[in-house]
Amino acid sequence: MPQCLTKYHGEMEYDEKATLHFARGLFGFEAETRFLSIEQPALRPLVFLQSLSTPDLCFVSLPVFVVDKDYFLSIDPDDLEAVGLLSKRQPTIGIDILCLAIVCIQNGGPTTANLLAPVVVNRQNSQAIQAVSLNRRHSHQAPLPAATEELACS
Amino acid sequence: MLVMLRREGESILIGDDVEIRILAINGSRVKVGIAAPRSIPVLAREVKLLRAENIAAAEVSSKDAAVMVASLFRQSPPNES
Repeated sequence: MPQCLTKYHGEMEYDEKATLHFARGLFGFEAETRFLSIEQPALRPLVFLQSLSTPDLCFVSLPVFVVDKDYFLSIDPDDLEAVGLLSKRQPTIGIDILCLAIVCIQNGGPTTANLLAPVVVNRQNSQAIQAVSLNRRHSHQAPLPAATEELACS
Repeated sequence: MLVMLRREGESILIGDDVEIRILAINGSRVKVGIAAPRSIPVLAREVKLLRAENIAAAEVSSKDAAVMVASLFRQSPPNES
């Protein structure tokens, strides 16, 4: 099995078949096309997106439903086609696709999740894309539900 | 903001070097062609925002911070139905 160096998990063996392929990279990281999704039981529900070409690049993400239980996917048919999904209907999260929101953890600031540009992974072929939601109410800096509760309590 | 009405196939010139042409109109979507010198960056507005957001997300995160975020959910497990 191939090995890779990771930002948070030291050296890891990985299964080539589990590699996510972002043909267009991610916004700001257009050259980064291969990522590993890493989950750790102790750190659920976090999903780490580790670059396979840059050990120091690892995004922290959350399933969109963890951030917003009513999240409604609305992405461009062209983006669906780009990862080999049918463009005629929106795919079902959890069945056709994994849908992750990249988390931004700011020092001293609120932790937010990017619901405007979810990472969409076709579960059939591991092709992935960071799409832009057509629903403009989706924020690129959505508050985390737990953080919201904390505010409400204080 | 200057507002101009254009039809399919018509163009707008900005200065001497930039041309914006309405290539096709399809329902609520407009296909726009932009001819500009390489020195002028052209990108969709949201792309600029999302690049900055990803760069911030990649820079600031640390494992300790991630552990803290995960702990937020352990106290009140999300309902993933």
